[in-house]
Order: sequence, then structure tokens, then C-alpha cells
Amino acid sequence: MFKFIKQYAEKIDHVDIYPMISLFIFFSFFIVLLVMVKKMKKERVQLLSNLPLENDGSTNSTL
Amino acid sequence: MQVEKFYYDNRIVKNFAYATILWGAVGMLAGLWVALQLVFPQLNITQYGSFGRLRPLHTNAVIFAFVGNGIFMGVYYSLQRLCKARMFSDKLSYIHFWGWQLIIVAAAITLPIGLTQGAEYAELIWPIDLAITIIWVVFGWNMFGTIIKRREKHLYVAIWFYIATFVTVAVLHIVRSGQLPYSWLQSYSWYSGVQDALVQWWYGHNAVAFFLTTPYLGLMYYFLPKAANRPVYSYRLSIIHFWSLIFLYIWAGPHHLLYTALPNWAQSLGVVFSFMLIFPSWGGMINGLLTLRGAWDRVRDDVILKFMVVAVTAYGMATFEGPMLSLKSVSAISHYTDWIIAHVHVGALGWNGMLTFGVLYWLIPRIFKTNLYSKKLAANHFWLATLGILFYAIPMYWAGIQQSLMWKQFTEAGQLKYTFLETVTYMKPFYAMRSLGGTLYLAGVFIMFYNIYKTVKQGKLVANEEAEAAPLVKEYSKHKGEHWHRVIERRPIQLMIISLVVILIGGIIEMVPTFMIKSNVPTISSVKPYSPLELQGRDIYVREGCYVCHSQMIRPFRSETERYGEYSKAGEFVYDKPFLWGSKRTGPDLAREGTGNLKKSDAWHFRHFREPSSMSEGSVMPAYPFMLTQNLDTSSTAAKINAMRSLGVPYEKGYESQANTDLMIQANMIRSSLKTEGIEVPANREVIALIAYMQRLGKDITNNKTATTNQ
Repeated sequence: MFKFIKQYAEKIDHVDIYPMISLFIFFSFFIVLLVMVKKMKKERVQLLSNLPLENDGSTNSTL
Repeated sequence: MQVEKFYYDNRIVKNFAYATILWGAVGMLAGLWVALQLVFPQLNITQYGSFGRLRPLHTNAVIFAFVGNGIFMGVYYSLQRLCKARMFSDKLSYIHFWGWQLIIVAAAITLPIGLTQGAEYAELIWPIDLAITIIWVVFGWNMFGTIIKRREKHLYVAIWFYIATFVTVAVLHIVRSGQLPYSWLQSYSWYSGVQDALVQWWYGHNAVAFFLTTPYLGLMYYFLPKAANRPVYSYRLSIIHFWSLIFLYIWAGPHHLLYTALPNWAQSLGVVFSFMLIFPSWGGMINGLLTLRGAWDRVRDDVILKFMVVAVTAYGMATFEGPMLSLKSVSAISHYTDWIIAHVHVGALGWNGMLTFGVLYWLIPRIFKTNLYSKKLAANHFWLATLGILFYAIPMYWAGIQQSLMWKQFTEAGQLKYTFLETVTYMKPFYAMRSLGGTLYLAGVFIMFYNIYKTVKQGKLVANEEAEAAPLVKEYSKHKGEHWHRVIERRPIQLMIISLVVILIGGIIEMVPTFMIKSNVPTISSVKPYSPLELQGRDIYVREGCYVCHSQMIRPFRSETERYGEYSKAGEFVYDKPFLWGSKRTGPDLAREGTGNLKKSDAWHFRHFREPSSMSEGSVMPAYPFMLTQNLDTSSTAAKINAMRSLGVPYEKGYESQANTDLMIQANMIRSSLKTEGIEVPANREVIALIAYMQRLGKDITNNKTATTNQ
């Protein structure tokens, strides 16, 4: 799959480490994101998701 | 703790709301007009009203005027409430509002008079680019000022979307606006050819991402829970949605350049990331729709929710279609066709339009402390808009696929079955149906105009809405085991910096190698800079927006090489500032117009510009009779040559003083050639320069071949 990059990439020293680094960055970015989100406390999530619904003075119903 | 009393600024929200409605109507009217021009070319009235100049007006008006004001309306309303604070500075709000409207007016004047940079959605000339930069900074300053003096500790997810929007649009705008002015109004792009194309679609696609999508997702995360009166389905999902969306989006630009002369590795990166985008996009859509779980019965009665449901659904459809269109095999058939026009209108009319209408109907009665004048009219608007989208999109999908099939159809003898003109005339009924869809949609907007006018009349603006909240305690020590994301949630500047880093990665990885590594754009020795007359002709091509309908990029397919000649190479475009590959073939590709069996006589071009249908019956191209009488402005030649040289085009030193002599020699040659065909026209007319440019197109490569054969 990477044949078409090879001709340019071959000129860079130790180029084979680049795709591994990028895979690592990607993988860890999303894994860390998922783990952190999963670990969030329930009360916090509730507090945050209710932020827009707090009374802001404009509660008159229109419809 | 002492509770503080403060006031929300509703006047600025009202101003942006009015501007949204006004410019929305203007932008859509322009859209309807250009749609009709494709059915009735005689509607191209005067040079100021020709398709090539008005179509950029339509796109700019809808994106930056309608959606732009819609963003600011929603941000100014929601940010104050989410931060429990008035906007940082009324003065900045005021400058932001009027500055943005002045920019829009400046665009509405400059585009029809032909002042343009020729880059799609970045057409505006450099002084306006500068003004946009200043006003954008004012917006950011006001926004961050508000966030910093807020009374609510946590930053709700909508605010993150606003911050990412601010920072990314700033980066996009600055990079895309890289240009060297050669006069008080005009300039040449810093980049050329392939690099300009890459910058353009990195910008163009992320304008969709960070102007039409992320701010509106912020609005969705605020206004949908408000309208449904229940919290968002999953706040956790919204965090994942945010980070993965901004992480992936910035890489996707090259999917606009598949099978072009862009290096293959960049194309492939674009494809991979575009495909992955389906996940965060659908995560967001599902989060929006499931917010209504258990409340779907209310959608039946609540017209605001109806608008929002259709908006989020359209977002889902467009973001499913986008990754599919980014696959190389699908792009092979969809690129350059009306399919793409259908796709973007599902996004613009469906996602942006419907969400804007929903927010307007929700917000106007609230800031005017009254009820909506008529629910029934709003319901009528909803149905007109929904039907309008269907009547618009379905004929365009049909037309696009049909167009592509006809372009690629061969006879059994191995020849192309249809001439390009046959495919154009086939499109006309579809263009007519599309106009009907646009009319329905616009009719809905006028109904909304009336409904909101009546609502405003029966209410009274609460310019300063009273609210109370406890101030934020400044001293805040981090306690042990605190959740990581809480730290970011409290710190807007850090959030901005992390967002900036995340969006820069993709842009840098794609662009830097294309700029730095020479072998990415192999040079072709026979490719020479344009002659002064050709350069002037090229600038007229840009001024008239010819690139809106004509591509100059032949993809390596047999159906294209048979029709247009040898496929395009990266090295052919090294002196092209701006690049003019185009994105749509309403007319045929022109990359090899001056060579091979596509070559026409000077007289053919002359007659064609004067009245296209006289040479190609059924053509929908506008006529350009004014170019036969307008004199070419040769006073700019020296400045143009100098600017081009500074940007790396190898004109010899001192050539600028000789350029106009060469220009007249070439112009006189074309004049004499026209004379032999019985056409009397002075050599200094604009049409002569444009003919010179037409005859140059594709010639470099042919010269190369002759040279090779001679050896």
C-alpha cells in the first residue's frame, strides 16, 4: 500500500519508524480519550449535561 | 456567597438574527438566480450579472453572510448564558457586528465588478481579507473575554466547539490568504499549481468543517436540549465527538483532488481520514437525535423540534455521503458533476438552514418576551423547506449520475458516444426542477420573514435581560485525583492551544512535504511562463469566474483522455497563480483547449465569446459581448510581471519594461488572424487577451513532444 510513498520516503533516514510513530500517536490518542471518558463520574456527567437547562431568566414558553 | 446581578445583552443577538434573515434571503435569491441562468442563459444580464461573477456571490453570501451571522447569533446568545455573564465588551460586540456586515457589503460590491482571487470560497480580495482578520480577532477577543470573566466554572461542550471554530478558522484564513498584492485591490497567490490546489482544498474543506459544521454542532448541543427541554443524550459521547472530529477533519481536504496531479500519498491520506470521519460525525448525529428519546411525541406538535430533527438528519446524510464520495472509485464518477452540488445543498439547506430556522423560531420570541405570532405559518415554512430540499436534491442526484454516465459512455466502435454539448442540453430539465426546489425553499424563508416580523411587532425587545449568579472563586486549588478533563474544562486558553495543536498536525503533515520535497512536483522543461498577453488573458479568465464551470485538470481515465487529450501532470502548473483546476464541469475541461483536435481558430473563439450559442447550439454559457468593446488595461502589466517574478516565476530582470511591447506584438498577430476571417477588431480589446490564453492552454506539453520527436 505504501509503494507510492516509498520513492520519496526512502531518502529520509530511519523512515520506517515514522508510520509506527503515527500509528502509536493515533492509537494512544483515542485509547486515552476513551478510557478517560469512561472513567468520568456519573454525577459530573449529569452536572455538565444539565448546564444549558439551568434557569437563565428566559423561561416563558412560546409554543 | 454574595449573588451578583447582571444583564445579558440581547440587542446584539437581535442584530445578528436580523442580519441572518436578511442575508439568508439575499444569498438564496442569488442562488435561485444563478440556477435559472443555467436554464435560461439570456438571464446573464450585463457583465455584472453573469454566472461566473454571481455564483461566487451566492456561495459567499450563504456561507459567510447567512451561516456566519447565524453562528454569531447563536454564539452570542448561548455563550452569555453558559458563562452566566454578559459579553465581555459591548463595544467589541458592536464593532464585530458592523464590521462583519461591512465585509459582506464589500463582498457584494467587489464580486460582481469582477474583483476576485479566483479561489473558491476565498474569492475576496486582499483588503477584505485583512478586514476579515481584524474582525475575527475582535470576535475571539470578545469571546475569550467573556469566558474568562464567567461565573460558571465548567465549560459546556458547545463552548469547546466555538473555541475550536475560532482558532481553526483563524489558521485557515491566514494560510489561504497568503498572497502578494500588485495593486491596491489585487494580488497573486503565494502558492502555485499543485501547492495552491492543496492549500485551497485544505482550506475549502475545512471551511465546511469549521465554519459550517463545528459552530453549528455547538449550536446543536445548546439549542436542541433547550428546545427539547432535556439534557443531551450522552455527554461522554459529546467529548469523544469533539476531539475525534477536530482531529480527523483537518486531514480530509485532498479528497477534493482525487485522480488529479496531486501526489498520490497526499490523496490517500485524504481518503483514509475522510472515511474515518463517518464515525465522529455519526456519533454526533446519534447524540443529537437520541436527545429526543422519550420525547418523540412532542416532535409531532413542536415545529421547532421538527426543524431541528430534519437538520440533524440532513447532517447525518451529508456526513455519510461525504466519506463515500471520498473513496477514489466513487470520486471517479462523482467529481465534476452535479452530484456534488446536490451533496453540498443537503448540507447547506438541510443542516445549516433548518437548524438556523429552528433557532430563530426558538430565540426571537424569547428575547422579545412574547409568543410566536403563528405556529401554523411556521409549520408551513417547515413543509415548504423540507419539500424544497427534496425537489432540489433528487433532480441533482439524478442529473449528476446521468451526466457522469454520459461522459464515460463509449460506442461499440470505441468512440465517445456523446459530445459534451449533448450532455449539457440533457441537464436542462433537471436544472429547471432544481430551480423549483429552490423557489419552494425561498418561499418558506419569506413566510418566516413575515412571521418573525409579526412576532417582533407584538413583543418588546428585552435588550438587557436580568440574571443572577454567584461569582467564580478565583483561588482554586487542584485536589488530588481530580479528573483530567476537569482541568481542561476550566481553562479555555489551554483548550484553545490543545485544539490548535490537534488541527495543525494534519495540515503540516500534508502540506510541508509537498512544499519541501522537490520530487513531489516533477518539473517539465518545456513548461514556460505565460507571455504578458496570456497572463492578462488568464486574469480575465479569473475575473469572469470561468473556473466556476470549466476545469483544467484531465484525470487519467480513457473517457477523459479521449475527450480532452493527455492527462494533466503536476509539472504543468508551476507558474499557475492561482491554480485553475476547477471543481465542476458545467462546461468542458479546457486544460488542452489550445492543442490537438480541441484547437479552434481565433475567429471561432471570438464568435463564441460574442454569442456562445451561435457556435454551440444549446450552450448555456453566458455571452461576453462587453469584452469585444472593453480595452485591456495594460497599465498593470509591469506590476504583474514584477509580482510574478518575486513569487518565483522566471521572467528576466527588466522584462517588465518590455512586456507591453511583446504584448502588443502578440495581440496584433491575433488581430490579423481575425482579419483574415473577416473580423475587424482593434488589438487592444480584452477578448484578444482571452483568445491568447485559450490558445496557450495545453501547449507546453505538445511542445515537449515535438522536442522529443525532433531528437
